[in-house]
Amino acid sequence: MGGKELFMKLHKFLKIESIEEIRKYKLLHPATIFIFDFNKQKKEVDAFLRNKNFVTIRTDKKNNLYFCPCDLRCPRSRARQSIKEFISKGYVVILQRYIPIRKDRKVSGNILILKNYILVELMGKGPLTWLNRNGKIEEQIKFKKRNLKEIEHFGKRLIKRGELTDILKLVKNVPNYKILEFTLMTEGYYFWQIKNDETAKKLE
Amino acid sequence: MPEQKIIFKGIPASPGIVKGEVKIVKSFDDTLKINGEIIVTSFLTPDFVNLIKRNSKIKGIITKNGGITCHAAIVAREYKIPYIAGVGEATEKLKNNMTVILDGGKGIIYETS
Repeated sequence: MGGKELFMKLHKFLKIESIEEIRKYKLLHPATIFIFDFNKQKKEVDAFLRNKNFVTIRTDKKNNLYFCPCDLRCPRSRARQSIKEFISKGYVVILQRYIPIRKDRKVSGNILILKNYILVELMGKGPLTWLNRNGKIEEQIKFKKRNLKEIEHFGKRLIKRGELTDILKLVKNVPNYKILEFTLMTEGYYFWQIKNDETAKKLE
Repeated sequence: MPEQKIIFKGIPASPGIVKGEVKIVKSFDDTLKINGEIIVTSFLTPDFVNLIKRNSKIKGIITKNGGITCHAAIVAREYKIPYIAGVGEATEKLKNNMTVILDGGKGIIYETS
């Protein structure tokens, strides 16, 4: 499939576009493939599953960034069937390397880029959906964008400030009014997706 | 805000000032009875978020958990509903039919005299 044809196929799949945006900013994210036709991509899926005990299966639907189903820790033996089922229900599958939800995970959270500030909301171990869908926020920090100086803080300190500002240095030049979802592991960080949040202008 | 007693402070998740009666929402069924109140709940799960999109009669929102970047906060801002998140004692201390003023821009809930 040619690049243009693939682009048209995936256009308006907001999660997929957001992963492409992560790549554009050269931010790290787990190894990922997009599956929209299992039969045509069977070899690609098999190659991805090779030597993996678990994978993460997320899904996407046109113009729907929220509340698509996922299987965050799917055994390889079940993966093909799950992918087929999601596709039969009209979803595109985002197949990713499994990043443990508890083991070696330090924090997960959202980074909101404002005009003059960066706001970070964090939770400890567990899937980031707990923060996004269930409101589990354990720490909130507001930084001045210019010098990354902390100006407001709520909650308990989950990680050393330097670990966080190292990540913020990577994203401070991302355009305003975007939310970057990330996880910090002992091995390093991963970004999951970037969402546009035009409503954040109201917070300025 | 002139001469009003502050009851709670929380995270200012969606700006706007409203005055209204409190409605404690413990289950999805409670949401079906909302008619112009300020809803107070633990958090806005996906079902509640869909309700915000359908029910224009929600005057304001106060939640025990949550923050600025959660789905619920983004939807509240989109629908211009003042919202204060992270008000730890909200569901215990606020009672049905109490009248409060919610300042979603400052994250402050005031008692009305």
